[in-house]
Amino acid sequence: MQAGRGNVKPPLGVALEGDLAARIDAVLAVAMLNGFAAKMESRTIALCTSRSGLKTAQFVDVIAGFYAPRPVGGVANIGMAEAHGAGDDAPPLAATLALKNAEGGPRYTSNMKDLRDTADNAVLIRNILLAQVDQNAATVLAGPATGLVHLLYLFGSRPQIATKVKHLVVAIGAFPSGAAEASVAADAAAARTLFAEWPTPIVAVGSEVGAALPYPASSIEKDFAWSQAHPVVDAYRAFKPMPYDAPAPALAAALYAVHPDDGYFTTSEPGTISVLADGRTQFAPGANGKHRYLIADPAQKDRVTKMYTDMVSAQPVPRGGRGRGGDLE
Amino acid sequence: MSIITGKAIPRRTFLRGVGAAAVGLPFLDAMSPAFAAPAKAPVRLAFLYVPNGIDMKNFNIEQEGAFTAPFPRVMKPLEPFRDDILQIGNLTHNSGRALLDGAGDHGRCAGSYLTGIQVKKTTVDIKASISCDQIIANKIGNETRFASLELGMDDSRQAGDCDSGYSCAYTNNLAWRSETQPLPPILDPRALFERLFGTGVVLSPEDAQRQAMYRRSILDFIIGDTKKLQSSLGPTDRRKLDEYLSSIREVERQLEKAEKENAQIDPGMDKPYGVPPDFGEHFKLMSDMLLIAFQADQTRVATFMMTREGTSRAYREIGIADGHHPCTHHQGKPDLMEKVTQINEYHTKHLAGFLARMKAATEGDSNLLDNSMIVYGAGLSDGNRHLHEDLPTLLIGRGGGYFKPGRRIIYRKETPMCNFHLTLMDRMGVPTENFGDASGPLDAASLT
Repeated sequence: MQAGRGNVKPPLGVALEGDLAARIDAVLAVAMLNGFAAKMESRTIALCTSRSGLKTAQFVDVIAGFYAPRPVGGVANIGMAEAHGAGDDAPPLAATLALKNAEGGPRYTSNMKDLRDTADNAVLIRNILLAQVDQNAATVLAGPATGLVHLLYLFGSRPQIATKVKHLVVAIGAFPSGAAEASVAADAAAARTLFAEWPTPIVAVGSEVGAALPYPASSIEKDFAWSQAHPVVDAYRAFKPMPYDAPAPALAAALYAVHPDDGYFTTSEPGTISVLADGRTQFAPGANGKHRYLIADPAQKDRVTKMYTDMVSAQPVPRGGRGRGGDLE
Repeated sequence: MSIITGKAIPRRTFLRGVGAAAVGLPFLDAMSPAFAAPAKAPVRLAFLYVPNGIDMKNFNIEQEGAFTAPFPRVMKPLEPFRDDILQIGNLTHNSGRALLDGAGDHGRCAGSYLTGIQVKKTTVDIKASISCDQIIANKIGNETRFASLELGMDDSRQAGDCDSGYSCAYTNNLAWRSETQPLPPILDPRALFERLFGTGVVLSPEDAQRQAMYRRSILDFIIGDTKKLQSSLGPTDRRKLDEYLSSIREVERQLEKAEKENAQIDPGMDKPYGVPPDFGEHFKLMSDMLLIAFQADQTRVATFMMTREGTSRAYREIGIADGHHPCTHHQGKPDLMEKVTQINEYHTKHLAGFLARMKAATEGDSNLLDNSMIVYGAGLSDGNRHLHEDLPTLLIGRGGGYFKPGRRIIYRKETPMCNFHLTLMDRMGVPTENFGDASGPLDAASLT
């Protein structure tokens, strides 16, 4: 029961829930997880977007399909927050999807015609976690906490999360304190519940880490020459006028989730994170606390940036090289 | 009697006869007090389960919404009931998936189908959970003679390994009274008949054969009560009663025929005494008795495993000598795929016969089918790849006027099948907060 097929423990399974419509660093994190998967250092077991919208769903389908072949004529198995109607539009992603190829046809295509082609993010993550070896999964959050709180409230899910998930790494907030961060402010009540009730250790990556360790625009210009059409690169260009270095807390979160002990970051002492009424986060040290936050280490900046660019620009894994596709079968 | 005095016949009246013979009554107008609003017929629920998945390409209707196009092949026999069917897409049983337990999808999918949990991989100390039909039966079963009925057709072994380390208790039962106690289905039509109308004692084949020599129709035993009742009924009820008793007589005739054929053709056959060798005849007998049990309100909850999960039964009746299970692992070979489609069509053809009889059974201004929820489906979608998502699911009937059928509804991917179970339990008057891996009942607005 506790080992994978053939009694070999597979690489860490990472479930990513992110605001892929509004945070380019969450999109970059999807690419980074592909890089880890290529090196067999992790598996992307679930890809969820916390923003409900058809364009977002189609874009996530495109990016998921870019890294792992979709079923013929089908769509990728992605999670999305509660979906009603077409949801929010996501201009940068819509612009990316509107790009044309040299022949004048769409550069990217998705078979996703309806939000019902997505799964509820909480149910998808719960289902896929159950297929993981105990303590061999990590969850990364880079968006509002709404979906993960929904997961918390699924009947019987807390012990399942505690059994399967080693840690939750959240790229939200500012630490030890700071201005209200957008993903927290989007649903402060959910963030409060998440920090208070999530059953595993939580490591938080604040906006200050994202600002200290941005993703360099120069990488977008030069590291993707191997691809004639790369949805992450096109989305990066659509998010803001180039050149810009994107603050990237989600990349730090993904890197820490997979390599917590490799010294890329310093971690704070243990404590408890609370969410104030105005959406600001606050860290209170305490030996019994199960929260920590990451601290950017200037001495590690070049090493971290190299890891970011190497992993984000990694080529797709040949089919069969990772477990995501088979885990829900 | 009721018409003159204004007194209604109690719903649970039995026609009793010599010995322990007892025949329940169908829903009659005379069961409503005079000048009162007609009594509302109860809602019945039956799960009809087919094994090894279904050819989804020929089962799923492409368009969502009201049925407009002709049905695909597997659904074709159900065309006459297109206004009675909800085809539901994207229901998933995550508990049927391996979840680190390796091979054994057939054992898991049947074990989890109504229990909603991942069953323990074992051939010895079985462990599942109470099934949703039994949660309902526990709550409303005291209102009927039988809390529930469990029917099957080909194998009720409860021990041994039926799928890669999964006990036969998982592949051969749908209903579970508790986490360790499955409710084995009745396979033998004679045993079911005795249960419904007789003493409840199941005779050995030898005793049954001996008794058959002297057997008279059960209707002969209750003739006194029948005449008394007939004299007190209006013409509509009298006709309804006649039709109902005729249907019981027809079941008796089929049973006698099957028993005679079994004795002549193959006295040594390894089958219960009253089981017809032909799938269709067997199904008709069992489903006719289920219908009578529903009609007479002897039970409101039933499970019917049309064949056990993982069965390798051959369908020689339609010229298929290969086993069903091997055919489903067709690996894309057209001849095997065609056989799977034919088997699936054969099942829906017989389902259609059952539905026609349900629809013909009137209940006040309505009919038995309208007052029922017949769930037809399987624990796998693609039997070749053992997929547990987008499970083939039909909800047939209106559940007492609640559902608006004649449509295909597609829910979001990974929607737990247990959400559907919650909806069914609620409709049966047993609202339940949590069940299996449900995330909440299906959106009512989409169904009604």
